[in-house]
Amino acid sequence: MALSFKLLENVFLSSKCHRQNALHPFCGPLLTNCISKLYSSYRRPGTSPDNTPLWKMNFSFENGVDWIKKNFGLLKKELVDHVKGPEGRGFEEYFLEQTRVVWEFRSQKDLDEWVVSSDAEIGGKSEAYLKLGKNNQTALLFGTLSTEAPRDGETGYSGYCAIRAKLLKGAFDTKKYYDWSNFNSLYLRVRGDGRPWMINIYTDPYYSHQKDDLYTYFMFTRGGPYWQEITIPFSKFFLSSWGRIQDDQYPLWLDKISSVGFTLGDKADGPFQLEIDFIGLLNDRAHTEEFAYEKYERNPKA
Amino acid sequence: MNCVRKLLLARELSARPGVLRQLAPGLDLLRLQGSSCAQRFWPVPVRSHSKFTPAVKGDQEKDGESRDGSLVPLEELFDRACKGERNKAAFTRAVELFCQRDVRRRGHIEFIYAALQKMPQFGVERELDVYNKILDVFPKEVFVPRNFIQRMFNHYPRQQECGIHVLEQMENYGIMPDNQTKFLLLQIFGAKSHPVRKYQRLMYWFPKFKHVNPYPVPVPLPQEPIDLARISLQRIAADLSAKVTVYQMPLTDILDSGKEITQPHIVGIQSPDQQELLAHHNPDRPVFVEGPFPLWLKKTCVYYYVLRGELLPPGEKGEMLDSERNFYYPMHLDLDLDRGPWDDEEFDVDEAEEGPIFAMCMAGAGDQATLAKWILGLQQNNPILSQTPVVFHLAPGPRELLAASDSEPGEEEIPQSRRAQQEC
Repeated sequence: MALSFKLLENVFLSSKCHRQNALHPFCGPLLTNCISKLYSSYRRPGTSPDNTPLWKMNFSFENGVDWIKKNFGLLKKELVDHVKGPEGRGFEEYFLEQTRVVWEFRSQKDLDEWVVSSDAEIGGKSEAYLKLGKNNQTALLFGTLSTEAPRDGETGYSGYCAIRAKLLKGAFDTKKYYDWSNFNSLYLRVRGDGRPWMINIYTDPYYSHQKDDLYTYFMFTRGGPYWQEITIPFSKFFLSSWGRIQDDQYPLWLDKISSVGFTLGDKADGPFQLEIDFIGLLNDRAHTEEFAYEKYERNPKA
Repeated sequence: MNCVRKLLLARELSARPGVLRQLAPGLDLLRLQGSSCAQRFWPVPVRSHSKFTPAVKGDQEKDGESRDGSLVPLEELFDRACKGERNKAAFTRAVELFCQRDVRRRGHIEFIYAALQKMPQFGVERELDVYNKILDVFPKEVFVPRNFIQRMFNHYPRQQECGIHVLEQMENYGIMPDNQTKFLLLQIFGAKSHPVRKYQRLMYWFPKFKHVNPYPVPVPLPQEPIDLARISLQRIAADLSAKVTVYQMPLTDILDSGKEITQPHIVGIQSPDQQELLAHHNPDRPVFVEGPFPLWLKKTCVYYYVLRGELLPPGEKGEMLDSERNFYYPMHLDLDLDRGPWDDEEFDVDEAEEGPIFAMCMAGAGDQATLAKWILGLQQNNPILSQTPVVFHLAPGPRELLAASDSEPGEEEIPQSRRAQQEC
């Protein structure tokens, strides 16, 4: 039993990035602080690597048992949902739905699904924080932006902050995706302070060469005390990679979306804030555009 | 083989423009000058290491050579040209000075990088003709590849990178290049080079994204505080029928006794919907003046104050219109003729609710006296304010929009009658 469990674990964990801690496949669930390495094994250049030997690490049997219970529970739920219908919802709901709420911010658990990052990772001076708003009804992303570039000899520009949804994980940490093929627009209810944000949609590509490709579009906030309802059709998102818009544009495929993020980088030093009420999807029947940009080859070889 | 070594050497030399390294033994540059190598590169005079000392005075300085052989730092070139005032004329004069002193434009890459860094200091970073003048510094037709080998190997890579940097600075400031830029780039680098490709990308994407902002900020932004307040209030009111009123103009008065009185400006806005909401407000409940909240317009941050009521619990909401009150015609129509009955665009979520907003204003100073003047001004059109207690929730610095409604420092409740006495 233990052997088969270990094999299962290895099979599922081998699909993860191979850059992770080598000890992880064998005793991952037993380590108390293994979760922090799950999403990113990025180590900021200049910081020392975490080389605690095996005998110093904290093993916890309770964590292991919790992990087993949680994952088998998720596995059972997945199997049951598969029988019920796509993603656990019935067929009527799946075929007739025109709106869906994907993320709403009503508790700390909802906030934990998002990761906040900023300039500080590369040595800049911006700060960004995420907290619940008044009456626990909204999420407030606030902080300060600073365009002072870090003096490490290679960075030219700086001053950004971003928030990104965590990747969906199924039973035993398998990769799961959002399937938004029923919809054609993104609906956001936000209240900003007039700053222009960018929305990024991460789709998981088949080839690892394309793992940095990103579909982005702008979100212009009006500012002011009134809530702003923004609808952005998915046909408007353009393909970019590493912050550069690509020459060859392709429409966004909605069936394998891994996460969504917001970025602020408008080169204005100072405090910012953005309140998000909820993020939803909309099937706008009046929107018939397939793709907003031309798909022909931009620089033909001839 | 020999040609490849020469190419590598040429690449090495062009890679380190500011510092002349000691040449590898066995390679004589003067011999290479007359070789039949296809690539043409600068005939660099051979110097020994000891004579050359790079003067590093700061981040921006790189060395350039003048005809008489002395090393003139580029920093000095800009200082000499500006003669005190830093403006566009001085900058163009500096660029012309550089172009005039050498027909081969030695050290043009360092000069262009230094010029790009100096542009914000001279205030010319948004001028297209200055960028064209900088691109003019490149010698023409030298970097255009002439055969397939040159086209294959990134011809003059440092110069192409420099051209790309110029275009990237234009892109960062949002300046659209024009025909002259295109002709210059074609003349300098040829049709399929990286700078020309970047120019083509700029010309493709900039027009697409120029008008994508549904709430555009006027360019240039007015400096007058009243005009700025008017524009920003109209923006945040989100209602085209809202009216902007100037309650007080900014005034700096010197009394006879020599004391200076400054009056900050107060500009307020209220739309008919807000007026109606305020008219229906229960005078027993207080209204709150909250602020200051930040509003960003490109790079300027302005602050506004809000007059709002508190959110009523569902039991105390105003009387809903009874749909059966009138049988002859509907009192309240909510027809959305764009959509049919099969379209259901409601979201299954309780939206965050807040109290109604009655008016907004922007003032030069955020103290209670100024805002009290605003409330008095609002009373002209909303007589109910004379009976409603007004609570001031003012923070010393800008606050989040959803501030907690518990007692904060700076809160004061003044019934209207007492304030009216104070004013008199």
